Amino acid sequence: MTERKRSPWWPWVLFAWMALVIWAAFFYAPAAKGFKGESARIVFFHVPQAWVAVLAFCVNLIASLRYLRRRDLVDDARAAAAARLGLVFSVLATVTGSLFAKVMWGSFWNWDPREVSIAILLLVYAAYFALRESIPDDERRASLSSSYAVLAFVTMPFLVFVVPRIYWSLHPDTLINARGSIDMESRMFQVLMGALAGFTGLFSWLYTLDVRLARVGLKRRQSEES
Amino acid sequence: MRASSLLSESLAVLGKELTSELRSRVALNAVGLFALTTLIAVAYQIGPYKIEEADRPHLLSALLWIILFFGATSGLARVFVKEEDARTAKTLRLAARPLAVFFGKLGFNLILLLGLESLVVPLYCALMSYTVESVAGLALVMACGAVAMAASSTMVAAIIARASGSGTLFAILTVPLALPLLVVLIQGTKAAATSAALAAVFPALRAIVSLAGVTLVAAVYLFPVVWHD
Repeated sequence: MTERKRSPWWPWVLFAWMALVIWAAFFYAPAAKGFKGESARIVFFHVPQAWVAVLAFCVNLIASLRYLRRRDLVDDARAAAAARLGLVFSVLATVTGSLFAKVMWGSFWNWDPREVSIAILLLVYAAYFALRESIPDDERRASLSSSYAVLAFVTMPFLVFVVPRIYWSLHPDTLINARGSIDMESRMFQVLMGALAGFTGLFSWLYTLDVRLARVGLKRRQSEES
Repeated sequence: MRASSLLSESLAVLGKELTSELRSRVALNAVGLFALTTLIAVAYQIGPYKIEEADRPHLLSALLWIILFFGATSGLARVFVKEEDARTAKTLRLAARPLAVFFGKLGFNLILLLGLESLVVPLYCALMSYTVESVAGLALVMACGAVAMAASSTMVAAIIARASGSGTLFAILTVPLALPLLVVLIQGTKAAATSAALAAVFPALRAIVSLAGVTLVAAVYLFPVVWHD
């Protein structure tokens, strides 16, 4: 007789935390100075989404390197899960960034260096999945897509961190600016930190679910083959 | 001893590539004709006088790299795709070590890119009345750009040769990797066009050399995996 596993408690805590973050973003944090109307409140969603997009890219790299070393298909499933979530959060960061750009600068897209870097991050994720789709064999798919992920990762730091600092940018200062200081009102900073923690938790939960599903799929396929 | 045999093996692979290319001329024709057709289309539609004087250095540099990049993508994938198509990849795996194959193919793509640049750049300058203040600066940007582009495209060519639907995949996988490089190449070319001082191209050149370096290091680590799987 199989014992049914109880569902974990922490997704409920995460749900409550995210609800609190959404409430705090609109009612606890004050409106930022120097921005049109209430537009700056989007920072509590846009920055964590961009952070998770980059975090997912790093997780994808680590899982890809692990696959290349250990040749375990679960590592490939981890890399693919991170890339899938990275793609979703990149799209969300692009959409929220474009909404802010429309309000502040008058158009949805301005070819700002940061907009270009997120667009290329999206292209890298899309190319990664195009490559995966084109290879029917599991092991070859895993090794080629892992290799491409590592190759893409070596150019991304240049694009995400170097180019936006070389070229003039419309984008507001990042959280920790070039002077190494944090210029943000304390309640806004608290909400932003809470949102970063919440979105990171959301990513961890979705990532765990995706990897568990992939594990089940792999086990099923192995039992069918044997 | 080990390094010299790697070098001689790489040169042997390069020699094989050059001989087979001179016999079939598929990559030469594809790259050359694609670049010339794009160049003629751009020159006919835009010509030397349709761009404002102030915008010329930047726009003409961007157009030049678009022509070079799209010309290059039509032929650079062939180095590995042809081995899989002709079913000679297995023999090559037995005949040479992975790094020798990579450096041989990289050398061939580099020669192809340098040839493309020597054909397109003078024609482009003549047809678009594109004046370059620092010819040495432009030559440096072109040479380093060719190395960086050859490194990433050779590695992507190796990846797509092992996947199905190679032709379309090459463009899809190369564009995101090449875009950061193209940004700095355009900046470097613009600097060479506007300033006679060689030092004007150094900031862009540093970025190009760094990108070429990290791509080559990653390729040396990854190529044996891609080649043998």
